Order: sequence, then C-alpha cells, then structure tokens
Amino acid sequence: MKFEQWNGFKEGAWQEKIAVRDFINLNYTPYEGDKSFLAGPTERTKKVMAKVNKLLKKEMDKGGVLDVDTKNVSGLLAYGAGYIDKDLDIIVGFQTDEPLKRGVNPFGGIRMARQACEAYGYKLSDNIEENFKYSTTHNDGVFSVYTEEMRAARKVGILTGLPDAYGRGRIIGDYRRIALYGVDFLIEQKKADKVRYGKNDMSEENIKQLEELAQQIKALEELKGLANIYGYDISQPASNAKEAIQWLYFGYLAAIKEQNGAAMSLGRTSTFLDIYIQRDMEKGILTEEGAQELMDDFVIKLRLSRQLRTPEYNDLFGGDPTWTTESVGGMTDDGRTLVTKNSFRVLNTLYTLGSAPEPNLTILWSDKLPDNFKKFCAQVSIDTDSIQYENDDLMRPMYGDDYAIACCVSAMQVGKQMQFFGARCNLAKLLLLTLNGGKDENFGMQVAPEGKQFKGKLNYDEVMESFDKYCAWMSRLYINTLNVIHRMHDKYAYEKIQMALHDTEVTRFMACGVAGLSVIADSLSAIKYAEVTPIYGESGLIVDFDIKGDFPKYGNDDDRVDSIAVEILRKFSGELKKIPTYRGSQHTLSALTITSNVVYGKKTGSTPDGRKKGEPFAPGANPMHNRETSGALASLNSVSKLPYSCCQDGISNTFSILPNALGENNEKRVDNLSDMLNGYFENGGHHLNVNVLDREKLVIAMENPEMYPNITIRVSGYAVNFHKLSKPQQLEVLKRTYHGEM
Amino acid sequence: MEKCKARIDSLYNGSAVDGKGLRCVVFFTGCNMRCGFCHNPETWTEKGIETTLSDLVARIKRYKSYIKNGGVTLSGGEPFLQAEFCKELCKALHNEDISVIIETNGLICDKELIEICDGIRLDIKNQERDVDKRVFDFLNTCQEKEKFVTMTNVLVPSLNDTAEKLNNLKSIKETYSCIKEVKFLAFRKLCESKYSRLNMPFPYEKYQEGTKADLQRAYDLMSF
Repeated sequence: MKFEQWNGFKEGAWQEKIAVRDFINLNYTPYEGDKSFLAGPTERTKKVMAKVNKLLKKEMDKGGVLDVDTKNVSGLLAYGAGYIDKDLDIIVGFQTDEPLKRGVNPFGGIRMARQACEAYGYKLSDNIEENFKYSTTHNDGVFSVYTEEMRAARKVGILTGLPDAYGRGRIIGDYRRIALYGVDFLIEQKKADKVRYGKNDMSEENIKQLEELAQQIKALEELKGLANIYGYDISQPASNAKEAIQWLYFGYLAAIKEQNGAAMSLGRTSTFLDIYIQRDMEKGILTEEGAQELMDDFVIKLRLSRQLRTPEYNDLFGGDPTWTTESVGGMTDDGRTLVTKNSFRVLNTLYTLGSAPEPNLTILWSDKLPDNFKKFCAQVSIDTDSIQYENDDLMRPMYGDDYAIACCVSAMQVGKQMQFFGARCNLAKLLLLTLNGGKDENFGMQVAPEGKQFKGKLNYDEVMESFDKYCAWMSRLYINTLNVIHRMHDKYAYEKIQMALHDTEVTRFMACGVAGLSVIADSLSAIKYAEVTPIYGESGLIVDFDIKGDFPKYGNDDDRVDSIAVEILRKFSGELKKIPTYRGSQHTLSALTITSNVVYGKKTGSTPDGRKKGEPFAPGANPMHNRETSGALASLNSVSKLPYSCCQDGISNTFSILPNALGENNEKRVDNLSDMLNGYFENGGHHLNVNVLDREKLVIAMENPEMYPNITIRVSGYAVNFHKLSKPQQLEVLKRTYHGEM
Repeated sequence: MEKCKARIDSLYNGSAVDGKGLRCVVFFTGCNMRCGFCHNPETWTEKGIETTLSDLVARIKRYKSYIKNGGVTLSGGEPFLQAEFCKELCKALHNEDISVIIETNGLICDKELIEICDGIRLDIKNQERDVDKRVFDFLNTCQEKEKFVTMTNVLVPSLNDTAEKLNNLKSIKETYSCIKEVKFLAFRKLCESKYSRLNMPFPYEKYQEGTKADLQRAYDLMSF
C-alpha cells in the first residue's frame, strides 16, 4: 500500500501493517551535535504566550479552576471549537470550547463529578444529574461488588488512591499512528480484526473483545468528527510536519476528552515528529524557527490540558498534574541513539515558553547517549528543575526500543502494552497491622485476621514470621480488589479511543505499588539492630515505640538495612504473583507515591523507626528525610540496590541538591550532574528526579508567592508549580534532604 | 591488606567541592593543629573508627561509576599523620584507576606520599601567625615532584584578609609554579553545633563569617 503523503520516506514493512517503530527506525536521523542550532521563540509565539500567561494567572487567582462546563458530558464531539486566538493558533484543539475551561466526566463516578463542581463553586446541571440517574458508572459497578474486607482496607488507608471513582489512566494511545496512517487505515485494520474474532467460539472473553472492537471503531469515527470541528480531515496520513503534529495531537485530545485518568501520557513522539520536520526542511518548506514554533505551539496546547478533580484527589496527586509524559532520547536495539534535533527542540520549549511542569519531559538515559545531549539535559535540569531521568539501559532489554513512560515511571511498549493502574499498598501500615495482631492502629478495627500479640521487646524473627502471614493476606486482598476495579472500568469506562490506538492483541500489566518502603526498612532495621519495645495505649493498641540504641538507616549505602528493603520488595512481589489477575495481566510493582506520601503518613501511626504518628513518609523509594548522612552518592547507591526485576513498574527517587554543592560554577555543575546520572544508572538505578535549588528559595516562595510565580520543582515522578501544592505538601518538600556538600 | 589499618572519622560519598569532579572524601582522625575555625573538631579528640585498607577500598569501589572524572580526596584531620596507610591506600586505589588527592596543612613533608598521590590541596594557615616554615619544605617537595597543587586559604574577616597577608600568599604562589590554582574559602560558623556537642568552646565564635564580597576582594587583591 502506498500513500502519496509517504513520498520521501524509506519504504518498508511499516507500509503494509501498523508498525510505527519500524518506520522510525528506517527513517529517523540521529543527532550527536550540540544545542547551538536551536532557535528562540518567534514573535507570534511570544504573543500567544502572553495570552496564555494571563489565562494561567486568572486560573490561579480563581483558586485553581478558571471555569467549568457543567452542562455537557465530556466527549469527543461534546463541544465546539476552542482557541487561544484563532488567527494565531497553529496547532488547534481544546478539551472544551475555551482554554482552561474544564469539562465534566462522570463515567468514573457521578458523586466525584458533583463534588468536584461544588468544590469550585459550580453546580452540575440537572440534565447530567438526571441522565446519570439511569446509568451505571465505574464507581457504581465497583462498589456493588466490593466486599466488607475491601471496604475496610480502603477506609483505614492500607490501600489508598485506588482508581475506583475516577479514570484509571496510565494508558498511552499510539497517537503517532494517526499521523502516519490516517484514521481510515486504522479503521480498516480494526474492522479486519473484528472479522477475525468473529470466527472464534463466542467465549465471554471473545464477546468482550468484539464489543471493544466495535467501540474502538466508533471512537475512531468520532475522532474524525473531532478533527472536522476544527476544519481538518484526518482520514488520510499527514503530509507535512504541521499536519503530523496536528493529527497526533487530535488523538491525544480525543483521549483527554474521553477519559479523566490520573495520568494521561503522550508517549514517545518527538523523534517520530523529527522525521516529518527533517523532510520538510529538506524540501525547503520549513526553517529551524518554524520547526521550533510548531513544537512550541504543540507544547502550549499540552500545557493547558486540565481535568476536574476533587480536593481529596488533590491530596493524593498534588499540584493538578496531568502526567502528559513525553519520553525523550534512548537508544535503538542496534545501538544508534534515538536523540534527534527534535529531542533538543522539545526540551528547548522550557526556555522558549519558560519552565513549566507539563508536559512531563522524561529523558531515557543511556550510557551511550551523545555527550552533547547529556550535557544539555543536565543544563536544563539546573536551569529549570523540570525534567526527570529514567534508565534506558535497564528498560530497553525488557521493553525494546519503542516503549514510553506512562505517568511517572511506568514503562510500556507504545501501542502494544497497557496497564491496569493499581495505586499502592501502605507497607508501614502493614507492619503496624502485623504488630497489632490484624487491627488497624488508628481505627481499632479488626481489618485482617487475628494474629499473634507481641509483648515486650520485639524480636526480629518473630515479627518477620508474622509479617509474612499478613503479607500473603494483603496480597490476595490487594489483587482481588484491583481485579474488581479493572473489570468494572473495562465495563463502564472503557478507554475506547486509546485502545483503538493499540494493537488488538495487547499485553496487560497489573500495576501494583508500595508506599512507605523506607519507613518499613528502617523500622525492621531498628527492630533487628536496636531495642524496640511497643508502648500500648488504653485500647490495647500500640501508640508508640520505645527505641534504645542506634540502627542502620536506609540511604547510607549500608547493606544491613538496604538488604531489608530489597527483601521486602521481593517478598511482596512474590506474594502478589501468587494471585491470579483479571484478564491474565502480568503482575508488576512500583515504589512510587506521587504526593500521597503526605496522606499516607497522616493515616499511619508511629512506627518503630522513630517516625511519629501522622508524619509524612518519604516519597517513592526515597530514604527518610535527613537520615541520609553518608553523602548524596551513598543515598543514590542505597536506592539503586532495589531490584527493577521485581519492581518493573518503576522505582522513583527524588533528589534535591543545592547549586553550590553541585559545583562552583555552571560548567562544573553540568559535568558533575552528568557524571552523577551516568553513575546512578550504571549502578542499576531506575529513575531520578533532579532538583537543583536552594531550600531558602522555596521558603521565600512559600511566604511570597508573587516573587517566584513560576517556580517548578520535581516531586515524585512529575513536576509541579510549587504554589499549586497544599501547605502540608509544601512543608514536606521543605523537610526533604537537600544534599549540601555533594 | 588486612593488616594495614587507619583511624578514620567517616567516609563521605559525593563531594563536588573538594577537587575536580565528583569525589569520595575520607576524613582521617587525628590532627597536629588546632585551628580555631576548624570544621571537623571531632577529628582532634575522638578516636574514630579503626578501618582496614581492604574495607576502605571496598567501600570506595562502590562509587567507581560516579567518580570516573573525579576521584578520592583524603582529608581530616591531617592525613599525613597516617602517611603509611595513605601510601597503601593510594596504591590500592590506583590499581582501581581511581585518582587520589590529599588535603593537608603541609606540616609533615612525607616525600613518598607526596610523590604517589595525584594532587595536593594545601591549606595555608596564616590566620593567627605567619606561615609555618615546614610548609615551604613541603612545597619544595611538591615542586620537585611536579605535583599539581591547589592552594586553599580560609578567609576570616579582620584576621587574614589584610593586604599584607594576601600579598604574602601571592608571593608564595609566585615562588612555586607547582601551585596551579588558589581558592579562598569563606570562614563559616556551620560547625558551631559540633563544638557544643563535643563540649568544647568554639574559638572563633567572635569572628564574622566571610562573605562573597570578602572572597572577591581577596581574589582581586591577589589579581587572580
């Protein structure tokens, strides 16, 4: 098959079937040079950004939400066209008919939609209320099945952040397919699949697959309709760079209109787009300024993506993030760098448009990345604190060379793998549950089966023996709960457009997670190496611990305690794998908290490591605040010991360092940061958020927001505008370790 | 290697301000001076941890991937007080392709150790009295061995930021071509809590901290 829009591309198997990866591999141009070719913003871009900044200020002044469309239910065709400035916009499309006006998406749950409206002074229209009286939402479905035990685990907060009232997200449509093939070709493929599945025995799974294919085909038709609202016909492939970006963006826009998943990630698009930009440049129809302008306008649209959330949701996922994660860089299987000029351009938007938390720019770091690119990334981190790094050399052997990151740290092959987001289990609480014989330390409820009562000084082996039993109990309950959630999500809030942009035969992951890893590691270390005696309150539950003597603490490259953290992960991962999953999905695990480490801490009693009741956990896989005293590299070494093999959904580490401690001048800071990243990833580290900033600056920003209105920091797999965090979240960020003498 | 032992206070992993690149810093215990501005007074009196050469090398090797462009800095305390151990440590680290520089007050001129290390950070103590004569022996050896020397000096306002003191430093720099760079470090009081923890008076409590401007003035005076 051949489209005239493909003229100039190298021919290959990608022309016969959907194979974006092969297209990229055959056609892209690696770039090993430096940043000197980059162009600044055009006058048009500056004008548009001035308008955008005004809108953002208005949004902030109004308490975080500029406007809500309470009349329509969000969907691909629910709204008319929206623009920043119709004459100036190059890449077009908004979720509703105006930028920053949020749509209502009640498919996850009507109550959540109602509360979200009310939280910002709006009222859901009677029309929507009336309609959803007669329809079942995802949330209705889940709660009709939840057992008492599941409800209890949720209530006490041993399982938190479960996607049972909102879209699960973490699914990446292969939006590049729209640009490369046009929508009609994609529909043809899905129709052929439908014919194929129609010949199978009609098992429940087969019927489900056929129904989903029908939904996907309908969604693709609607996608064409969405483009049509903006005056475009995307049935055919894109013929130039501008169209390629626009086609791709329509796909992403359709996804965020249809779904309000926590993380709606973009994928791995910049090198794909470089092929179109390069072709246009060779034809002489695009300049460097023009190329940057296209990327700038694309990124402006991505930055304005919004979902309507409740305040409780914001406690877990602070700062109004969308996780429009774009994965940049990495290597091919045959050893070429996937860095192109467009990898530089997308990072350059942090200068042309100013720093911002979204899109969540994620560098796939390989030892083999061109040195010029490594240095540019380090410079961007030092200047903007807006990007994160993940280990391509660790992920590529497992996912190949066309995977992308969903959310913060979750790798998946684009268009071939998806995941069932499973939030996380509070391990620190699980330990307290163990020590309290199955009772929750705050509610006093018998959440888990009754177990051993501990008296006097705790014995490590006895504690572990009991913990193993509760670990098995927890794993079964956790997977079962997720099975319920994802069965209902598929049934009532299926991701039609995103799954239409996947192969029909898709690999699914059941993405579990843990929180409080450093708390449980240090607690067990205290029990093992110091003398820990529980203190009981009137109710017979443990209220605190008497800790005598010192003990090794996670984050100091001390194998005595680091090995405990490793053992806990292996144990929990092993137990989870014993429990069958919905749709045969593969069990994975992450050590990631988003900003929920604050809420988890709030809901967890005093722990044997000396952390007091209610105090925040460290985020992700981070060592506990200020317990790392052996230097920044020792802290990194502790985290890099955690085995990715049993934590394949990602191990998040957020690292903050004072600029002066990173080197005495800019050049040295760039070199040192680059060395640090090389070292961390060579040692097997998976993810690193890098903040190069003064704690004092944050203190000033907290008290005088107007002084640093755009201060961006990395928190846990994503970046936020510091001012969009809640006060407790801000205080927790200040409490973290800022490596001083690195 | 098992028999070779030293007393160290700690190993700090990841300094970017104690020489080129990222570095591991070994803080040795024991010092032959008692500078009133010292940041590590615990190395004067505390016994430190007895550490074998093999153990220390094994610990440092964990950071090999980070310190390829940097290395290890021996500091303290005064590393030259445990010169025999330091020589063995240099050899062992060289076998691992790790470069080693030593921070010293220059009072102990151990020629073998100067020769074997990859660079010297010589901190000139001129705050209260003139530069000790032994430092010149030390510098002569560095000169002879063509060692890369970084001269450092803790600048305490009103004590050693005078034109006279700075000119003196300048002439040292001009006499010894092995001194490739000069770095002024501002006197800071961050260490105050260490003194109180050790139940020791902080001798320099009465002095003011050095500022960025003080440093700049010193660099200007020396016209570096």
